[in-house]
Amino acid sequence: MPHAPPPYSDIFDELLTEDVEELLGRFQLSDSVRYEVFADIWRQMCFSDVFRGIPSLAELKRFSRVTLATAVNYFLPPFSYQIRVGGLYLMFAFYHTQLCRPPVRIRLALKDWIYIKKFLGDSADAGHSDVLYIYRKLDAAKAFYYTAMPHVLAFQKQRKPKKAAVCAKFLGRATAVHELMCADILEELGNLQVHYEQLKEACPEVKGQVAMTHRDLASRLTDCMSEFISWQQRSFSSLGVKRKKAVDEDGEEESDSSRARLLSSIKQKSYSCYQEAPKSRRHRQAETVESLSCGAEQLQDPPARQKKRPPSLRARTQRSLGESREDSWTQTWLLSVPEQKERLPVRSTKQPAAQYA
Amino acid sequence: MAAAYPNTNIPDYEYAEVNTKPFHIGSFRQEWMNRLEPTEYSYQQQDEDTFHANFAEETGVGAETLAELKSICSIDSLRCHPEDEQPDMEVVPPNPTLKTLIQRKKRQDYRASLKVTKNRHDIYADELERLTAGKRPEDVTDLIPEGEVILTINVYYPAVFEKFTYNRSHMTLLMTGSHSLAELRDAICCVSDLQVCGEFSNTPDVAPDFISKDHYKSAFFFFEGVFYNDMRFPECQDISKTTMEWAKARNFPSFTQAKMEDTRMADLKVKVGFPYLYCHQGDCEHLVIITDVRLSHRSDCLDRKLFPLLTHKHRIVTQKCAVCHLFIGRWFTTDDHFAPSDPCLFCDKCFRMLHYDAQGNKLGDFLAYPYVDRGAFN
Repeated sequence: MPHAPPPYSDIFDELLTEDVEELLGRFQLSDSVRYEVFADIWRQMCFSDVFRGIPSLAELKRFSRVTLATAVNYFLPPFSYQIRVGGLYLMFAFYHTQLCRPPVRIRLALKDWIYIKKFLGDSADAGHSDVLYIYRKLDAAKAFYYTAMPHVLAFQKQRKPKKAAVCAKFLGRATAVHELMCADILEELGNLQVHYEQLKEACPEVKGQVAMTHRDLASRLTDCMSEFISWQQRSFSSLGVKRKKAVDEDGEEESDSSRARLLSSIKQKSYSCYQEAPKSRRHRQAETVESLSCGAEQLQDPPARQKKRPPSLRARTQRSLGESREDSWTQTWLLSVPEQKERLPVRSTKQPAAQYA
Repeated sequence: MAAAYPNTNIPDYEYAEVNTKPFHIGSFRQEWMNRLEPTEYSYQQQDEDTFHANFAEETGVGAETLAELKSICSIDSLRCHPEDEQPDMEVVPPNPTLKTLIQRKKRQDYRASLKVTKNRHDIYADELERLTAGKRPEDVTDLIPEGEVILTINVYYPAVFEKFTYNRSHMTLLMTGSHSLAELRDAICCVSDLQVCGEFSNTPDVAPDFISKDHYKSAFFFFEGVFYNDMRFPECQDISKTTMEWAKARNFPSFTQAKMEDTRMADLKVKVGFPYLYCHQGDCEHLVIITDVRLSHRSDCLDRKLFPLLTHKHRIVTQKCAVCHLFIGRWFTTDDHFAPSDPCLFCDKCFRMLHYDAQGNKLGDFLAYPYVDRGAFN
């Protein structure tokens, strides 16, 4: 090739990522994990056209690799369950609509296998047969390469890493706090605390002088956790995502882990009782996508913003002395340049040239 | 869900997106074997009915649900245009809505206004891969077994090649875990192996009796602090000894040695994406990077005899004769009064025509050396 393509061109393409995030955004708004809905959005956006118009075979192969790498990216954590399902459907769609023959395969790395297994286990428990069916179909078509790492590495380090800013609204919510709440750790902690206090009381020389722990550790922990949970619900419900009914189902007779709680909220939408989204929701979708995408942009830093330079000594001095900048601007034009500096270009800024003052 | 201790057999990044920590190839393969069902890595492809039967058994869905799944989750659901109106895939659609397509359309319109000929590198980029993909051996014993690990190795130009030292790979080889390093060494072709030493202006017809490859047979690979020497032939010396002694004298961590022919690829403990060294001819050094390690797949070339498999070879422009500009230069002259420059390159015909008379006597005073062009392996 006349010039080598930039590194990372094989795994990330900005415009494609934007298109994919648009698709996944619509899928997220539909509030469903059904393949039908995904296929509908895919057809609406005419997404299989994304492979059209590529002049050379080499470029087509490279682009197919990029599409599959992007899809796998959304299939793995830290995204929410729904986005991960969207990533799986995207893998299926890109694999079967690509134009390369023989087709480019999907790379699954060993370190990600545990997350994939967990994802499939969760889907099976929740009864999402179409998720499993799509995965098994890809497997049967021998679409996977079982690799060491997700991308081919050739010791190329990018000077300006061109990584996609993770779309905040796609991220899965942290469930660690929920899991801590329902595990019996806090109860045990309280019991241990009581036991410790009792032992301390029993030794007259120690009591009252030594304190290894906070007395109210358990209660403070519980307070922190409930604060976090309520913040999480507030901030995520404001983005328009449907509130998971994790808290409401607290009193129900359920298995211990919050994983089951989270899944039960999706369980009601399992394959056999799928319902069409109401027509009103469909009309609203188009508007909310734009507003949300604006919101997402605010969350991400605009990449082209120039670095702000720190204020100069002069500016800082003036600020501390309380002078306003406008008053002290005296435009000193250099009428005579010192001889040795005659050939130096004179600064053409509005600020007075301090070194000649 | 994380393991209690980090499992070093699962490769992970040492520097993100650059290279991994060292891991043992054989153990990595074993980790995948522990996790996968045999059907997942086998070469056999299930037919549809078996697939549906297995799926129904695994998930316990009813026949009706299965039929529904079959019709909804089919490839036809991804079709964006009606079947009888398949669009032209080489042209961007007229009113694109996707951002990727909008930019591609701009490029297409720009390109249409230029007169650009096809790029030679693009056309031949995948040629080698296409030739060998999916090949099966005639003899079943030569078939690469299922679940074998395949490594992709990039070998780079030696450091003395000013042009392409840092990022263009000279050749890409595929190797299996059961091949040895000696086989990898034999597959690496470098022009310095073909160099002929000696001045031949007086005897241009005498075929040189040796090339450097036959004369200097020693070579070594350096992976993760171990020098793998080639000891197959009695002439081979241990050229890594000097480096090892030097390192010991200067308080470096000690290096160890092993034999190239006894080490299989699966025995290596290496980092993926990290540069290592191959040294031959005493001072011709090549960077070697293992770019990818994965399990074998049914679409790979499965004939063991064809490995190490060359999947990519960089074609370098050859230097032509200074007189005819047609043939590749084979003679290199210095101190030559007939030549326009010092040094000068000639093809065989022009060389003999210029420097020797009809009887084969040497005319004038010059020094001539046989020259092997860098593009000799094109």
